[in-house]
Amino acid sequence: MKNSVDISVNFAGRQLQNPVLTASGTCGYVDELSDFMDVNCLGGFITKSITLKPRLGNPTPRIVETDSGMLNAIGLANIGLERFLSEKLPLIEKLSIPVYVNVAGQTLDEYLAVTEALCKCKALAGIELNISCPNVKAGGITFGKDPAQIESITAQVKKLCASKTLIVKLTPTVTEISDSARAAINGGADALSLVNTFTAMVIDIERRKPVLANRTGGLSGPAIKPMAVYLVNKVYNDVAKQAKIPILGLGGIQTGSDAIEFILAGATAVSIGTATFSEPNCCINVIEGIKNYCLRHKLSGVEQLIGSVE
Amino acid sequence: MKHSCSCKTKALAPATVLSNEKLGPRIFRITLQLKGLGAKAFAAFKPGQFAQFEVRDLALPAKYAIPADLKDKSRKNNILRRPFSFYNVEVVEDSVILRALYLVLGAGTLRLSTTTAGDEISLVGPLGNGFSVPKNKKLALILAGGMGAPPLQHLGTFLAEKHPEIRVAAFAGARSKADLPFNLVKTHAETELSFCLEEFARHNIESHVATDDGSVGYKGFVTDLLQHWLTKNSIDPAQTIIYTCGPDPMLASVARLAASLNVDCQVSTERVMGCGFGVCQSCAIECYKPGTQEKIYKLCCTDGPVFDSREVAWK
Repeated sequence: MKNSVDISVNFAGRQLQNPVLTASGTCGYVDELSDFMDVNCLGGFITKSITLKPRLGNPTPRIVETDSGMLNAIGLANIGLERFLSEKLPLIEKLSIPVYVNVAGQTLDEYLAVTEALCKCKALAGIELNISCPNVKAGGITFGKDPAQIESITAQVKKLCASKTLIVKLTPTVTEISDSARAAINGGADALSLVNTFTAMVIDIERRKPVLANRTGGLSGPAIKPMAVYLVNKVYNDVAKQAKIPILGLGGIQTGSDAIEFILAGATAVSIGTATFSEPNCCINVIEGIKNYCLRHKLSGVEQLIGSVE
Repeated sequence: MKHSCSCKTKALAPATVLSNEKLGPRIFRITLQLKGLGAKAFAAFKPGQFAQFEVRDLALPAKYAIPADLKDKSRKNNILRRPFSFYNVEVVEDSVILRALYLVLGAGTLRLSTTTAGDEISLVGPLGNGFSVPKNKKLALILAGGMGAPPLQHLGTFLAEKHPEIRVAAFAGARSKADLPFNLVKTHAETELSFCLEEFARHNIESHVATDDGSVGYKGFVTDLLQHWLTKNSIDPAQTIIYTCGPDPMLASVARLAASLNVDCQVSTERVMGCGFGVCQSCAIECYKPGTQEKIYKLCCTDGPVFDSREVAWK
């Protein structure tokens, strides 16, 4: 029996050696996980969110563990564009895999300024537009809940980064996610990231107060996986398949089996987020798991699986 | 730069449980053995560093054996690791033996309490920055609060072995005698303070005990006990350092005392952590930007957990 299989995929015009990427906010800027895995073995890398100015993030507590999941309200703590370009970009330039920078902002101008600067960087494959962070008071999700605003911001960002891949990351906390997806595609998105965290709350019943200083946070981890799979499948069927726009599926993936589920639902590639916290080499294990599934099912690759759920 | 070399300082490795004993109603002592890559990484483990234990795969006790106050908490399926420090880290041939104390407080430690010899636990570490020993110090004062004791016991052993030029005095505080994670031994003097701690005594380190309820040793806070000691011992501030670990209010009070004495002080802090290696940004701790009163966040896991006490913006 063959013991290797080519699991490369074409993601928005670029060939990824495998369909496994990191998820923004769970893997640092570039090399933080290199003690645990060879980043060059991944399909691609998505950095932590970058904003124009450094952000300290929200007061603490910023996370709370839930049943099979966790809530976070980090508040986009990051080193800001300037330090990212001077300190992290040189490290990114040494990588052999595509790197996408997650871009966040409070205003449209901030998104555009960060995009413009990043699009001048040859080493970057593209950007992931974060219009779905539930944990900041301005910007973030406020852009991502209104289809008209999604289309407008996507179009303006795309104008500045025509030569790069533009992934738009959507929030699941809307009534009709396919409307959001359609708006992003109309605006010029090359790919969609589905889904960001679900807005949620945990209450400390002894103190009768929310546990998180931010009151609410974004729920991630295995608890959201079936909902994320459903939303990927819905967007695939409603919009993405016909528009030929690839989906980057994420939400609670811990194993190769989880990743296959997303691919069958319609994802071209997947991102590993929360699982990295407990298993810092999780991406590598997911890649192995996908290969094993293909071998077990005598498949020549994974692309034939995309959206093939009956 | 922190990650500029290609050598791996941290490992994700399985550890084998050698023993897991119940010392008190909620206190346990666990001994673990690492081999291979894990041993290689943990051989350089410094006092004050920590490791993340995977608890999700460990079994819960039988339902009837779960204490009533933890029954609701135990229903939760944990996805995050739990950070632990060690009171002793020993390199034995090609393996590393880790010894930790823990208090059963929730679902994670409840699961850990069921492990027995031969079980395997996945560890990530060594994580964080440990205590450091500045030059020209002649006296180290160790202040341990409750379950903040283990890394300081490790430090005491380290100082006794590697820094014989430094005189060490240890002060341990707890709510009551039962909460003191040390072995008490009676000294010759028949006073209320006539107890010392075997773990420090074996390295010829003088030790003193304080309890909130006075059930053993000095009645009061460990900081008061230190002040009491200072009335009888003169110190040279420039040649003295205080090391402390315990609950935040105690750390803040030790920091104030150190500042008033003009003595260097290193505090080992604790915050709720997601990952332990700097990527989740959960364990933010309010600090001052060096040389200013401007507040910034540092990460307990990668910037700490040991900080200079002047760096931390105490609440």
